[in-house]
Amino acid sequence: MEKIIEVRGINKQYVKRKTKEVITAVNDVSFDVHRGEVLGLLGPNGAGKTSTIKMICGLLQADAGSIHINGLDIKKKRLKALKHISAVLEGNRNLYWRLTVRENLEYFAGNRGLSRKDVKEQVEKLLKQFRLKEKENELVNGLSRGMQQKLAIAVALLANTEVILLDEPTLGLDVEISYELREILKMIVKEEKRTIIISSHDMPVVQELCDRTIIINKGTVVVDEKVENLLKLFETRAYSIKLGGTLSVAQEQQLLVKFPLCTYEGSSHETVVNINLEKSEDIYDLFDIFKAEGTVVESIDRTTIDFEQVFMEIVKGEKAYAMA
Amino acid sequence: MQWLNLLNANFRKEYIEMKRYLPNTLALLLTFYIIFLAAFFGIMFVGDPASFEANVQYSIVSVAFWSLTLMTMNFIGFSVVTEAMRGTLEQLYMSPMGVWKIMLTRIVGQFSLQLVMMVILLFAAMLTSGQWLSLNPMTTIPILTLTMISIVGVSFMIAGLAIIVKQIQAFLQIFQFVLMALVFIPLSVAPFLAFAPFVKGVDMVRMVMMENLTLSAIPLADFGFLLINSMIYFILGLFVFHRCEKLAMKKGLLGQY
Repeated sequence: MEKIIEVRGINKQYVKRKTKEVITAVNDVSFDVHRGEVLGLLGPNGAGKTSTIKMICGLLQADAGSIHINGLDIKKKRLKALKHISAVLEGNRNLYWRLTVRENLEYFAGNRGLSRKDVKEQVEKLLKQFRLKEKENELVNGLSRGMQQKLAIAVALLANTEVILLDEPTLGLDVEISYELREILKMIVKEEKRTIIISSHDMPVVQELCDRTIIINKGTVVVDEKVENLLKLFETRAYSIKLGGTLSVAQEQQLLVKFPLCTYEGSSHETVVNINLEKSEDIYDLFDIFKAEGTVVESIDRTTIDFEQVFMEIVKGEKAYAMA
Repeated sequence: MQWLNLLNANFRKEYIEMKRYLPNTLALLLTFYIIFLAAFFGIMFVGDPASFEANVQYSIVSVAFWSLTLMTMNFIGFSVVTEAMRGTLEQLYMSPMGVWKIMLTRIVGQFSLQLVMMVILLFAAMLTSGQWLSLNPMTTIPILTLTMISIVGVSFMIAGLAIIVKQIQAFLQIFQFVLMALVFIPLSVAPFLAFAPFVKGVDMVRMVMMENLTLSAIPLADFGFLLINSMIYFILGLFVFHRCEKLAMKKGLLGQY
């Protein structure tokens, strides 16, 4: 697939006003985004996600490194590059609260040099698609947070750009609205075939929408992998094994030596062993321990892991992850 | 065409917001009218009766111009501060047209609306004082347009400052008195003020309105001076604005308030 965004070795440091302390927000971050791809940008608070997104938008200048949008250097040709990007930035103030829903759509289109006539059909389509038609003449300050967020996304879509950046699109929304927004985003991904970068803490959003994810921690990329691969990688080696009876002292010692991170709990007639195997072939060693004393294996379950757990394990460093 | 669409969108926004904040607009108009009344009664009771008419006419034009320059000159600065407070400033910076163009179209829209307000104020002042001036639009509009260019330039300088420091309200409050001095002090008293922005233009319009001059009666050198003065301030304003934008992007100040 053709690259549409190329980020190469970007750095950003801030200096605290009072203490003059230098804080590194982004440190040597590089990645590509391909045309039509949906990329999830994840990381804990203060990891450098928003700084990275703002640098891609040209709202923040990198101290070092380069960003190219469709081959255009954002530093040198910012305005030309912006023809290819629109964004919904973090927070709920992407809109004019004293303008109506329709006026906001038309105003932002106008700011991109488009006339009301140019966008008339698309405005109608978006109002229907986002279920905002009934509210089109209402002032934005009278809308719910969810409605405002839907409108902000509609405004970004109206720009008709190849790339859309969504910074925390579901932040602060209740479960119902968050679900509705996720469904809308899924529809956009499916129908519009645009390149989308989503920065989010909402793991279901990332798991459902994104092809690939980049996890940033302390300003550095710690993972750049397909969501599917990450889930597989973590899922295939996590097992929950139910045994008939208890483990002997010898078996417990062997388990501790061979699999120090393994945990087990049980009663007099049953024991459950939870284990995360480093290598697939370790399963044979595990079963040798049970077989040696004729322990009955009643069931083996592969532990299902969701994306939130994967994220937590990577960020907390509980699981060593080797970059591909 | 893109420029036209941009102008249309921003003129419309300014008009809609002026309507929605109508009490604010009317209060501002009333404030300037009260200031005029104060000047008028001051002249009536304290001033020299021999030059009463000329003084009243002078104050009518000056108050009207002070209101126009004040509202227009502070406009982009206030606009930047308001956008930063609302959180929409970064969204404006996502426009491929460039913020300076957005602000320029907004100020054109705002200037047109303020011009209507200035005419209302002028008529209210003339009606109150019984002193009728010659509005002479064929002469005043070209001078006003040229003068406007320097006002926009200073407005961009203020906006550049606003991008960096945001809390410029205190500065703008002091600045309105500086503007008042620039508008009210006649060039005959302080000729060096001709090098300041818009002073020459205001002086020319005042002369046209008080002496009922036509365009051809004004020396070409005056027009040349006004044009050069306006262009210098406009270019300087844009330069300062761009430098401030760069600094704000480097330091990550765009989204802050």
